[in-house]
This record gives sequence, C-alpha cells and structure tokens, in this order.
Amino acid sequence: MIQKIWTMLWKDTIIRFSSKSELLFFLILPVIFTALLGGFMAPDPDADNRIPLLVVNEDGSPLAGSLLAALEQSGSVRVEAAPLADAEAAFAAEEAPALLQIPAGFGDELLAGETAVLHFAQLPNNNNGNVAARAVQTAVADISQPIIAARSATAEAAGRRPFVDDEARAAFFSASLAVAQELSQALPQRVTLTQPEAALVDVNAYDPAAQSSAGQMITWVFIPLLGASAFLAFERSKGTLRRLLTTPTGKAAFMLGAITSNYLQALAQMAILIAFGIFVMRVNWGQSLPALALLLMTFGLAGVALGVMLGTFVKTTAQANNLSIMLGMAMALLGGCWWPLELFPPAMQNVVKALPTTWAMQGLIDLAVRGQGVQGILAETAVLLGFAALFFAIGVRRFRFE
Amino acid sequence: MKKVWIIGWKDLIVLFRDRGALILMLAAPFVLTVGLGLVTGAFSSTNRTGTGLAQIPVAIVNLDEGELGQALVDTLTGADLADLLAPVTGIDLEEARRQVDANELAAAVIAPTGFTAGVIPNPTTGERATAVAIEIYANPARPISAGVVSDIVQAFTSRVDVGLTSIEVTMTQLLRSGIVPLAQMEAVGQEVGARQIAQMQAGGAQVIEIQRETVSDNDDPAFNPLAYFAPGMAIIFLMYTTALGGRSFLDERNSGALARLLTTPTAMAQVLGGKVLGIFLSGVAQVGVLVLGSTLLFGLYWGDPLGVLLLILTVALAATGWGLLLAAFAKTPGQVTNYGTALMLIFGVLGGGFVNLPRTGALEMIARITPNAWALDGFLRLHQGGALGDITTELAALVIMGLALFGAAVLLFNRRSESILH
Repeated sequence: MIQKIWTMLWKDTIIRFSSKSELLFFLILPVIFTALLGGFMAPDPDADNRIPLLVVNEDGSPLAGSLLAALEQSGSVRVEAAPLADAEAAFAAEEAPALLQIPAGFGDELLAGETAVLHFAQLPNNNNGNVAARAVQTAVADISQPIIAARSATAEAAGRRPFVDDEARAAFFSASLAVAQELSQALPQRVTLTQPEAALVDVNAYDPAAQSSAGQMITWVFIPLLGASAFLAFERSKGTLRRLLTTPTGKAAFMLGAITSNYLQALAQMAILIAFGIFVMRVNWGQSLPALALLLMTFGLAGVALGVMLGTFVKTTAQANNLSIMLGMAMALLGGCWWPLELFPPAMQNVVKALPTTWAMQGLIDLAVRGQGVQGILAETAVLLGFAALFFAIGVRRFRFE
Repeated sequence: MKKVWIIGWKDLIVLFRDRGALILMLAAPFVLTVGLGLVTGAFSSTNRTGTGLAQIPVAIVNLDEGELGQALVDTLTGADLADLLAPVTGIDLEEARRQVDANELAAAVIAPTGFTAGVIPNPTTGERATAVAIEIYANPARPISAGVVSDIVQAFTSRVDVGLTSIEVTMTQLLRSGIVPLAQMEAVGQEVGARQIAQMQAGGAQVIEIQRETVSDNDDPAFNPLAYFAPGMAIIFLMYTTALGGRSFLDERNSGALARLLTTPTAMAQVLGGKVLGIFLSGVAQVGVLVLGSTLLFGLYWGDPLGVLLLILTVALAATGWGLLLAAFAKTPGQVTNYGTALMLIFGVLGGGFVNLPRTGALEMIARITPNAWALDGFLRLHQGGALGDITTELAALVIMGLALFGAAVLLFNRRSESILH
C-alpha cells in the first residue's frame, strides 16, 4: 500500500512539474504578489514615501506658515509647495492625489475674527486623496486651537470692557494668540496607544507585510489544492481510473495517493513561502514553529479535501482548472486574504466563517501578529479539521472510477 | 471580408459554448466583483468610510471621577458614532484587556483615575494634578479599527485642550490688561470655565472651513469600491479570454484544421484575420456582458455610453494584441494557457485590478505596459462624469498598444509560419 501511494505521489509530482511554467504558479507569482501587496516593492524604502500633497500658499502670513508647519509634521503627507498654475498642472496629471490652496487673506481673516476658507481638491475614488484630506483636517485642528482660545479671550475682554478701536482689539487678539500658541506647545500628551505584550507588530505603525504574506500564501496554495479536482478529472477522462480497477489497487489506495501527492506539494510550497516571508518580508513566523506547522497541516488537509470533493462534481479538466482558480480566488478574497477581515461589514464577518480560508487566515494572523502559540490556534485547527472531514466524507461518497 | 467574418463569428460561438471557459470569462469576474462589493460594504446604504468598516467593537472603561471621563463615555456612545462604533460599557479593566487579548474587541479606551483632575484645576485650591493620558489598548490584529478609535479619542482630547487653553489665555490676558483685578480672578475664572465647558460640550467653534471638492462632476468624494472593481475584474479576465483565443491558433494547428482550411479557396491572411477578429469579438462580447450585467444588477453607473463603448473596443484590441503575441511565442496550447493565466494575474495586480496599489516610480512605468491600467483609468474617469474628450489619452494608448502588439505578433508568425500552420 505504502509503495503504491509513493509511486502515485512520484508520478503526480512528475506530471505537475513536467512543464517549467508550473514554477510560475508554484513560486514566482506567489512571491511577486506577496512582495507587491506587502509594500516590499515600494520605490525606495529609505525615501520619503508619504503621500504628496500639493500646496499653493497665496497668503504668506504667519498663520499660513503655521498651517504648513503643521502639515510638515504629518506622518502621512509630504508637502509639495508650488505656484497655482504648476500645482494645477501637476494635479491634472495626477502626480498628487490632492491639492490644498491657501487663498490670499487667509491670515487676515483669522486675525479679524472671521471664518477663513481653505480650498481642498482631491482625486475621486482615490484612497490617498482621503488620507490627505484627513491630514489637512488634523493640521487645521492643530492651528485652530490657539486661534479659538485667542478669540475667546478677546470676546471675554470686549464683554467686560469694550475696546476703544479696532486697532486695540487686534493688538489684544495678537497678544492672546501668542500666549495661546505658547500654551498649546506645552500641553501634555493626552492619549497613549498600548498593545498586548505578546503582539509581534507595532500598532502605531501599520505594516501590511504579515497580512500580505499570510493572505497570498493561502491564495496561492489553496488554488492548486483545489486543483486536485483536475487530477481526478484528468485521470477519469483518460480512462486511467478504469484501468486501475484491473490492477490490485483499491479505491482507498488511489485516493490516498492522489491526496498525499497534492498535500505534500502544498506543504512544500507553504514552507518556501514562509521562508520568503521570514527572510524577505521580515514577518515573524518563527515565534511558535509547532503551532505554525499544526495550522499549515490542517489547512492543507482542508484544502485538498475540498479539491477531492470538487473533483467529484466536475466533468472535464478545463472545468476543474477554471473552477479551482475562480473558487480559490473568491474564497481567498472572502476569507480576508486580500483585504483585512476587520474592514468587512459586521454581517459579512460572520458569514465568511463558513469558509476554511477565513479560519486559516485568522490562525496565521494569530501567529504572526498576535504572537499566539499552539493554545491560541486550537479553535482554528479544530474547525479546519472539521472542514477536512466533511469534504473528504462527501468526496469519498461521491467518488466514481468511471 | 465575408470569410474573415465567418471565421471570426465561428470562433466567438465556439468560445461562448465552452462551459469551462465561461467560468473564467464571465462567472469569475462577476463572482469576484460581487465578493468585493460585499466585503467593502459597497452594497450598504450606510457605508461612509469607503470600506465595510462599521460597528467597531470597543470597550470603554471609565476610571475617572470627574466630568471629562463621563464626557468621553458620552462621546463614544453618542448617536453620531452609532454606525461606526459598537461600544461596550460597564466592563472592568481586566475584562476589557482580556477581550482585546482574545481578539474579541478592536480596542479598549481607558480613562484613567485622575484624568479630569489632571486637566481642570481644583476649584478650591487652584492646583492641577499631574496630567495622565487616556489609554487606548489596541488589538494588533485590528490595526485599522484601533486607529479609527484613536482618531476619535484624539479629537475629543483636542476639544478639551481648546477649552483649557481658552480659559488660561482668557484669564492671563484679562489680568495682564487690567480688565479683571487679581482679587476677582477666582470668581471670574469659575464663570469663564463654566462657559468654556458648555461651549466644548456643544461641539466647539470652527474658525477654518475646508471647502472640499473633487475634480469630477460627482460630488461624493468617498471611495466607491464597486466602480473601481467592476471594470478592474472585467479587464483582468479579458486577458484570459484573449489568451484562450490565441490558444485556438495552436489547437487548430494541432488538429489539422488550419491546414485543411488552407486547402479551400481561403488565403492565409483571411484565416489569420478571421482568427484575430474572433478573439477581438469575444473580448468585446465578454466585457460588454459584464458592463451590462453590473448596470442592470447593481445599478452601477459607467458614464458616457459612447466613451464606454470606445473603451471596450480599444481595451479588447489591446488585449487581443497580447493574446496574439502569446500565441506567436508559445510552442504548445498548454503554454499559451499557462502563460496567459500568469499574464492575466500579473497584469491584474500591476494594473490595479485586484488592489488599488499606489502607482509611483518604476511601478507606474511597468503598470503602463498593461491594458488594465489605461482602461481602468478611462472607466473611472467616465464613471466620475468625464466625457469622451477626457479619455482620449487612454483610448490612444490602448489603440497604439493593440497595433504595436499586433505588428510584433505578425512578424513572429511570419518567421514561424511553417510551424504555426502545419
């Protein structure tokens, strides 16, 4: 029995890798996708990769300068000051997702107690534009604080003893603003961000590497695992399954051979992608190797079992291949492999629990982000084993040699 | 010309009768678009974040004895944030931390003992206790949700600081200017403080207005995921269709159909023209069906119909060029399928079809060799209210790409004409 399984495993491996193009899907594409989506191929990791924000300063007042200084402090945008015509041309060419215009008179309006207006334009359907908008709002809130305080003081003073003229009022406001700016700079930190001790990432600096490494590994391993269905369809269409009946090879030995082959190939692929994650993407996969191994083995089982089950429904190799790609991509997407699960609507977060990819992804995030060990992923592995048992049961029940 | 049309139409019919091919031509882009719509909340009427982010589970632990701790609780549990947050109150500190540790909550907001006393001076002594910060105990597995909670709390403390600074500036200036003598400072301070706290609770004042606008006729600057992903997915799988069309060259060569066809009074140019037309028509039909389907089923607005039609035609032309080039390079039908699928996926990620990658530097240049990037830009422009004149660059780029690739493929075919046809 073991000899037969080994022979089938070797035969399947030779068939799969007989074409060099198989390496594209086994290794090259997963690595490219992981690197691209994990931000590894950003133009220059040492360069200022903040989102460019075009700023046209037509005012030149100290308050406009304060606004620019506040924007320069932003961790998300990089100020690119330019004259209006140049900025508009750059914006039209989509060289930056947003343009901020500080109109002439901005500072005077604020000093006169009026509401000053800023013009902010952003490219539509562009997330970077939304990020830039938030950075501008934060900077505006920063410089508004002392102005509001100075206005409040001026209004209070005027209520108690009216100013003799506008000049006296302006002088009082300016003095108040100076005091307010000094006080604002001395304010203590009001909010601190902390995280569990076991965490392996810094919540202060979102890094997509772990999400990308885990998500792409699941996607690219899951699709060929579902491709086990193509092997069954291929052998059935060639008649080799029927011919097997003439040999002393039972249904169980054949199924085990086909499954073991796909399973071991998937484990090898996962090991390579994990190594890529550790050494290139700097993802901390090595915190609990037993837990990682346990999770990957159960995920592989669930995937190959689904492939076997799928193989009993399809008729041709082409159907199996295309269905594997479609289902693999869809289940990876819905399982949170492309977009973090936390961004899904609450109802969808519950619905997608019906997919093995969701549990695999959750388990990998538990390991690489939350720093969990075997204990922390027992629930995920149990569910994945449950999926494997269910899919195998259906697959074996429906399996036919003809 | 009639022969060219007959060959092209035959290929179109053959392709659309292939159930296996239809899975990736029509079902996959449709299923993935629906999936992306579901996970990004595009079908939700209350989506205001551009993602599905809503009902973020957050614990609020108020250990502060003063009014600011309670004001923070009121802010986080208020109606304004009811869509965004799912606050859990009445929970003790250890339990809140445990639930964050167990990945049940996105964050715990902890207003520490003495928070108010560190902000507002004691009315009797005038002394202010040492400032203590509000702690946001964040779940690292939900960094984006934790970031949203942090932003909300920061906005709250900013309002507190505005009130505090206003009181201090007012009192300092009233004293310096002699408007209020030192003896009356305590009474005036209480009066001003009460007024500032009332103002803070009312939401504070706005001194700078930001007039936001988009460059399109569409007034909504929020990210609309469906308008992005529907064309993105359609173009990704268009590459599969054209590769499959290219494969039919080699399939028909292997089966001897091409050679047999050439024994009829049909010129090689007519055969090749018909095959190219078949691939092109299949691509046009595929994208057309997906555009129509998403319009009817999701009510998606694609924009100026003439612009949309021209974009479909030109992107199908460019993709046909890639399909032909693949067929010219490959030696076996299996190679066309494998390389075609690989190209489809690589172009998909580089062209922004899967995820809206920032296109900067070298990535921008590489993206421009894909029909995906040009066509996606064009479709987005039209969706945002652009007219035909706004997508001339994209149309021109796609036509040039298609013709250049067609020329390159013909050159390769000519060099290999014997092996291609026999």
